[in-house]
Amino acid sequence: MILVNYVVAAVVFSLGVYTILTRRNLLKIVMGLSLMESAGYVLLISMAYRRGSTAPVLLKPPPGETEQSLARGNVADPVLQNIALTAVVIGVAVTAVLLVTVVRVAQHYRSLDADDVRGLRG
Amino acid sequence: MTLTGDAALLPVAVVAPITGAVLAPVLSRLSGRLALVCSLVAMTVSALVLVSVAGTTYGGRVVVEHIGNWRPVHGTQLGVTFAADPFGLTFALLSAVIGAVLLLFTASELGELGGRELGGYASLMQLLLAALIASGLSADILNLFVWFEVAALASYGLTGFFLERPIALEAAFKTMVLTNMAAFYVFVAVAVTYAGHGALNVGQVRAAIGADPRTADVVALGLVVAGFGTKAGLVPFHGWLPDAHTAAPGPVSALFSGLMVNLGVLGIARVVMVTHALHRGQVMVLLTVVGGLSAVVGAAMALVQDDLKRLLAYDTVSQMGVLVAALGVGTPESLTGMVYQLVNHALFKTLLFLCAGAIVHATGMTRLSEMGGLARHRPLVTVAFVIGVAAIAGVPPLNGYVSLGLIHHAVESGHPVLLVVLTLAQVVTVAALGRATYLAFFRRRDDDYDRIEKPTVGMVVSFLVLAGGCVAFGALPNLVLDHLARPAASSLTAGGAYARAVLDFGGRLPVPEATFRYLDPARLLVIGGTIALGLLLAAWVVRHPEPRLMRPLQALHTGGVNDYATYAVLGTVVCVFGLVLT
Repeated sequence: MILVNYVVAAVVFSLGVYTILTRRNLLKIVMGLSLMESAGYVLLISMAYRRGSTAPVLLKPPPGETEQSLARGNVADPVLQNIALTAVVIGVAVTAVLLVTVVRVAQHYRSLDADDVRGLRG
Repeated sequence: MTLTGDAALLPVAVVAPITGAVLAPVLSRLSGRLALVCSLVAMTVSALVLVSVAGTTYGGRVVVEHIGNWRPVHGTQLGVTFAADPFGLTFALLSAVIGAVLLLFTASELGELGGRELGGYASLMQLLLAALIASGLSADILNLFVWFEVAALASYGLTGFFLERPIALEAAFKTMVLTNMAAFYVFVAVAVTYAGHGALNVGQVRAAIGADPRTADVVALGLVVAGFGTKAGLVPFHGWLPDAHTAAPGPVSALFSGLMVNLGVLGIARVVMVTHALHRGQVMVLLTVVGGLSAVVGAAMALVQDDLKRLLAYDTVSQMGVLVAALGVGTPESLTGMVYQLVNHALFKTLLFLCAGAIVHATGMTRLSEMGGLARHRPLVTVAFVIGVAAIAGVPPLNGYVSLGLIHHAVESGHPVLLVVLTLAQVVTVAALGRATYLAFFRRRDDDYDRIEKPTVGMVVSFLVLAGGCVAFGALPNLVLDHLARPAASSLTAGGAYARAVLDFGGRLPVPEATFRYLDPARLLVIGGTIALGLLLAAWVVRHPEPRLMRPLQALHTGGVNDYATYAVLGTVVCVFGLVLT
């Protein structure tokens, strides 16, 4: 475990939440969501880390290692990296949809202020 | 031909609608109707596959398919497992059948839309339904998260379907921000659980966490409750729900309220009753608190709405609260009542939203203050709406009477505060829906409507199916209890047996006991009392619109996306720290 990675994840996450809660510009809210997601990626990659391990690509064992020693866990956890990749893909899709909506909002309302975009209330 | 359940067929129930989702936009180039027909075929195939395993599953056996033949070895499962357990299958079957009804309704209501729109609509609708069916069958927490995201993405598209309407854009944006945060919570919870235990299969996670969880597991549990709670529209995560329902087309609102929000309940139920079941003391208390709060706040907000669909949406918040509170009580009887209520809610809320859609279709109106006298113009819609309202109010012999009776009876022993809260919520619910019925259908309206269109065949058929369901599920309670509700509750009461089954090639679930005395005088008296009080309250609110008591609560619903996100974050903080610190 590398402490600084977890600290970075926590700081980036907090920045994202802070942005969503306090910024009224819709684009900044989208950026806040992206920041939150990025914090998730950092967290996942950090959790997959193992001391002295190699990347989970098992074409040929690295020098001084055998397949058996790798199978006993001397690689970074591939599943978490996989989950992170899945999340990256989902994040891109969601951000695209969000940005499309923001563009349409800008066209309709001529504004990006969340305060102008609240016809539905109560 | 006899249908025999084959586990290997299970993925087809999900693949069929996804195939339909891909085909629909292509076929819509030829004709928009063709896209809808293709979707209907896909949903029928899916429903048939699910029905083919239903006999085995409701007989108490879990049907398990390890996808790609990744078999579990020594209690470790790396691949994805699909399992038809009675609870998940109930949810999946409901989604497939009601989904087909909604597509039929769409064909008659929105049939005049252009080919491109219909293609996209049919595609998104099937994608959402596929995600719901798959989450019912999934026995893997990462897989559950993925289907959560698929459902979320499809719902964004459907919410903003009328891109030219500004409120649709506004609703879509709020939905996206809140749901996206929810998805992030679930995602982190899954990752933390995997990092701690190296397990994703539900059964394996349960065995790994055991009765003595680490702090990280408890944090993950809190995040899951917050994440799926957002999907279920529980207070304080509910900001997106009324807006999304107001802006979307009628059948889409019906899909959201009748089926999609249940995904949240399913996720919470799976995690609380299976993976974290061995240390669930505090989280059950949390669920009763959140559920009771949602039940009251949702009903109270419904009481003062002017937009019919928005009113129904707030009622959904309230009903989801009742479901989650019943889950939190956690006795066999309350869980049976919860499953029963989940099915009933899907039936009557879909019916009510389709009625609202039919009114919009016929008159172009959404506001209660503009409507009136529809009983004279639209007798069929009136009958359907009144059946739906009576079912929610718990009028015997409709379905709400049985499920509410089960839940309230289960709450009576040991949860006096919750009983008061749920009864209060029920009175307010009756008042809110009674007021809506009066204003829309029975109030005198002197001037005629500018235009009023005839109901179509698809609408009539949808109403008949759903209203028939409401009556049948209420009139035959013992049949439903024995063959559906009690077996379905067994997935939750016997979480350990379910966990073993999904790590193997199936297994049996012991069915819990729950009986319902139909003509219990006390029950009839309570139901009669709540309805009478509710109608009195409705009459009072009709005379005194916008009661002062409700203003602070309404003022909290500012419509600002920042505010709603703040409530959701605060709710999450309470969920996580509440569980960690107690």
